Amino acid sequence: MEQPVQTEMLKARSLEELVRILHQIFAEDKVSVEEVQALMESYESNPEEWLKYAKFDQYRYTRNLVDSGNGKFNLMILCWGEGHGSSIHDHTDSHCFMKILQGNLKETLFEWPEKKMNGEMTKKSERVLRENQCAYINDSIGLHRVENISHTETAVSLHLYSPPFDTCNTFDQRTGHKHKVTMTFYSQFGERTVC
Amino acid sequence: LPAGLSQWFPALEVLDVSGTGLAEMGTELLSLPCLHTLLAKNNRLGGPGSLPKGLGQAPLARSLRVLNLSGNRFAEVPPALLRLRGLRSLSLGGNRLHGIPPDIQELHSLEFLYLGGNFITAIPPELAKLPSLRYLVLCDNKIQSIPPQLAQLDSLRSLSLHNNLLTYLPREILNLVHLEELSLRGNPLVVRFVRDLTYNPPSLQELAGRTVKTRNVPYAPSDLPESLVRYLSLASNCPNPKCGGVYFDSCVRQIKFVDFCGKYRLPLMHYLCSPECSSPFSSASQSSTSQSESDSEDEASVAAHRMQKVLLG
Repeated sequence: MEQPVQTEMLKARSLEELVRILHQIFAEDKVSVEEVQALMESYESNPEEWLKYAKFDQYRYTRNLVDSGNGKFNLMILCWGEGHGSSIHDHTDSHCFMKILQGNLKETLFEWPEKKMNGEMTKKSERVLRENQCAYINDSIGLHRVENISHTETAVSLHLYSPPFDTCNTFDQRTGHKHKVTMTFYSQFGERTVC
Repeated sequence: LPAGLSQWFPALEVLDVSGTGLAEMGTELLSLPCLHTLLAKNNRLGGPGSLPKGLGQAPLARSLRVLNLSGNRFAEVPPALLRLRGLRSLSLGGNRLHGIPPDIQELHSLEFLYLGGNFITAIPPELAKLPSLRYLVLCDNKIQSIPPQLAQLDSLRSLSLHNNLLTYLPREILNLVHLEELSLRGNPLVVRFVRDLTYNPPSLQELAGRTVKTRNVPYAPSDLPESLVRYLSLASNCPNPKCGGVYFDSCVRQIKFVDFCGKYRLPLMHYLCSPECSSPFSSASQSSTSQSESDSEDEASVAAHRMQKVLLG
């Protein structure tokens, strides 16, 4: 990946400031993964600032667009009810940053299934991400499943994808078969999108 | 609960006592006539005094809509809870339940039922009698099979079954026309075609019953003992469309795979009337390109297409 262009540690003191600094960073030609991850981690989650984007759905997790980054990135908030989880998915050659704003999320990493393989996908590792932690993944690292394993607490996470993408592949854990899906937004900029 | 609660706040509609270490909820609850939401998660409830006596007669029984008791220590669903007839949403996630009482059907307004993260081993067919149930969560339990009656849950939109001990599903699951979300990961679902034919040959009574039914032998209640009239009424139709036969107790269990978008194959349990019915409809009408192990029933593929959206993974 690109070399870091700045060595100073940026800190975002509010969600608004985070968005502003992200715009600055992504306006450059080269962007450092470490810098973005550190910046996102530096923002101390303040529900008052993001509550208006946090729209939950009873049946599944939701994706709520916060900022469309001048086309360079998408910043969105995901809301996970108790027991809600994602399928195993890739990231369509983009960078994915995931920061926990509330609750906990379990991330399970998987190896890419081999072409000829017709058996169970290989789990690489798993971890539980705590509030304010920020994880990073891209296709060269592998695939992952994200889930809220709590039966009592909801979870909220802040995601940055660069470049933005609206399709990805989901994978069947038992066979490694993949299936392309289109992702949609439950809300954009705080407004519920009706489809 | 603090004494005098209902005197200070008689109009209380929402009460959240989550995370307070509560071991009992006393009679204070009984005099809150407007209470529609009670959140008591992450406490120490589960023992005998958890819910107050007389709950069934209190105004609460009709007014309460939402009850969240997740993260407590219930080893069984307290019978008093089943008197809350107005309940729309019930969560007992993360407790110690080993089963679901058949009387759960008393909660006939229930739309949302969360039972994930317990030790439940079986689902009573009576659960299917809840006419408004839209969201059913049974993930992270020890469930080995799903009763086919669950297909009667007409309103069901989302069914969460991940992380259980299921090896197959009843084929009736395809009848849930409004089902949009189904999670099945983390179950030891059978992957390969199972030629499981522990077939007990039919009894003479069964053979006679089959003949009566398939030949339309006329009979009246006065012709037969009542027990046989009842027996004849329990005939099930063989789902093999080319068969048209019936069976009673002796049937062939067979797992057939239904293709979901050609990638994900769901093992569904079929009951067929005889081993002859089980040879995959290998007649000339079978398309030459279809897989020998996959099921080509039309209704199955329509249902499969509808559910493919969130079934994967």
